[in-house]
Amino acid sequence: MSGEPLLSVRGLKKHFLVRRGFLGASSARLRAVDGVSLSVREGETLGLVGESGCGKTTLGRAILRLLPPTAGTVRFRGRDLSELSGSELRAVRRRMQIVFQDPYGSLDPRMTAGSIVAEGLAIHRIGSRSERRARADALLERVGIPASHAGRHPHEFSGGQRQRIGIARALALDPEFIVCDEPVSALDVSIQAQILNLLADLQSERRLAYLFISHDLRVVEHVSERVAVMYLGRIVEEAGSKDLYDRPGHPYTRALLAAVPIPDPERKRVRIILPGEIPSPMNPPPGCPFHPRCSIARDRCRTEVPILRAPSPGRRVSCFFAEDYEGAPAAEG
Amino acid sequence: MTLLSIRDLRTQFMTEGGLVRAVDGISLSVGAGETVAVVGESGCGKSVTALSILRLIASPPGRIAGGTIEFEGLDLLSMPEKAMRRIRGKKIAMVFQEPQTSLHPVFTVGFQVAEPLLLHEKISRRAGRARAIELLRRVGIADPESRVDDYPHQLSGGMKQRAMIAMALACKPSLLIADEPTTALDVTVQSQILALLKDLQRDLGMSVLLITHDLGIVAEVADRVAVMYAGRIVETADVRALFASPRHPYTVGLFDSLPRVGEIRARLRAIPGQVPDPAAFPEGCRFHPRCPLAIDRCRSEVPLLREISPGHASACHRAEEVKR
Repeated sequence: MSGEPLLSVRGLKKHFLVRRGFLGASSARLRAVDGVSLSVREGETLGLVGESGCGKTTLGRAILRLLPPTAGTVRFRGRDLSELSGSELRAVRRRMQIVFQDPYGSLDPRMTAGSIVAEGLAIHRIGSRSERRARADALLERVGIPASHAGRHPHEFSGGQRQRIGIARALALDPEFIVCDEPVSALDVSIQAQILNLLADLQSERRLAYLFISHDLRVVEHVSERVAVMYLGRIVEEAGSKDLYDRPGHPYTRALLAAVPIPDPERKRVRIILPGEIPSPMNPPPGCPFHPRCSIARDRCRTEVPILRAPSPGRRVSCFFAEDYEGAPAAEG
Repeated sequence: MTLLSIRDLRTQFMTEGGLVRAVDGISLSVGAGETVAVVGESGCGKSVTALSILRLIASPPGRIAGGTIEFEGLDLLSMPEKAMRRIRGKKIAMVFQEPQTSLHPVFTVGFQVAEPLLLHEKISRRAGRARAIELLRRVGIADPESRVDDYPHQLSGGMKQRAMIAMALACKPSLLIADEPTTALDVTVQSQILALLKDLQRDLGMSVLLITHDLGIVAEVADRVAVMYAGRIVETADVRALFASPRHPYTVGLFDSLPRVGEIRARLRAIPGQVPDPAAFPEGCRFHPRCPLAIDRCRSEVPLLREISPGHASACHRAEEVKR
């Protein structure tokens, strides 16, 4: 844990104005990402988990400036992305790539696999046409697609193969950081494992850093050194993967972990059933956003917003009463 | 006591790419009060099996080409459509993966929950509304008196799935077919719905045929499991036996593909190759191109499902050598 992190995000917000009422007469503010700070070091994986609507996908896109942030800063190798000129930003962006969830929707159906992979090189005017083709072939081979298939179109590939092509595309510009947004969620279990292994191999070969976004807690535990948990646009807990899964500090993390079905019929089938559902990010509850569903909520939680604090080294948690859980195992109800 | 008994079911589809044998000779039974899980990956035929039981296969292009399905002693496949309509929604109900597309957007939730009662029990609309409120309360929807008049878009995904379950349970079916009932839901909502299904099953003494791809869910709710691959059942066993000592290389591969709790950044033993295209299943054992134990015999001779130990069957020529 030394030196400047590769990526450093401070107070990032992304709000959307949502039109409501007759012909959009009024508007409401949807706080998709509401003040997130995190950092990712070279070659490491930070897992980002949360349920649908928690803002994890928006956060990934706001970091890459695929969506312009409402507030906050994103620094990559110490440089604030919002202060860069157009050409400087393009140069930094080569180092930051994304792999999308949907291997069906994220590849242009009219392009060949080879041209999809080479497109970024062409946009950045790197190499001659034949050099780009050779590089695309090599990348396809590396991700497990025979170069002889470079002339095929996306529909000629299976879901897993399409995700491999999406990964090859992300690698084309030699990135240092990749946002992996639910990269295996649309895939069958047997194919998921292949892609997770591929991502791990590429990471060690190329010293890649990943922000690995997923709703699947088992997958995130498997791939991440550190894990951040999001709820209603904010990070509610962040810790080393083992710490977080062994001793979750936030009641939401505990509930989330307890809800994951364990593939072992011999285990006692006891679990916390978290009541209710995620509130709308247009109208978040006052105080701690989790308090309406929290089993240990007290009066203070209903009025005062808990800040993300560090009760022990390497852990951040936004719960007034996280210490009540210290040392408690995760799985029991 | 056997409630549902499927024998050698074959369901096929005529497509541009040729004949697809989506379900190719499967046999499966569900006992009274039992939960049987059918687990497999996309294209293995698990959903087609569910739809075949209810005779909901669109024809053309599909048809049930062979086999028998017996339910409470009746042969469902030879029954006239009119009689089948008295089974569907009354004796056998179904819950689908996507509550948003399974609920009709222009009718109130209450009407849709009451519809099977209006149809099968010929009760009045007023009585139907009262029963709908009761059912919505039973599946855990808060404030059912006002929710009953809501339209589907006013409900969250979890609430829609609860409403679907209420609809399925309206006529107290003896068999509930649940096809990936929680796949579209968040994990905390999923655990609520699974707990609800278990409670209801216990209270109503109903049998459940659960279609899923998730071995975690299988472990939590199933009594018995059938593993499907490429249109066939490759292994069937009591849930504990299947997890403790799987006897088919594909089942072992599925377990090995799962990230294990507490194993951080270890390599997964993935199954190599692709999930096969239903229009072009391999010859012989359909798993042989991906199987670490495959021998010449596997490439030509279809392995039959045979009992390895009481209640535990595997369709592998080398089942005795399979180890997890």
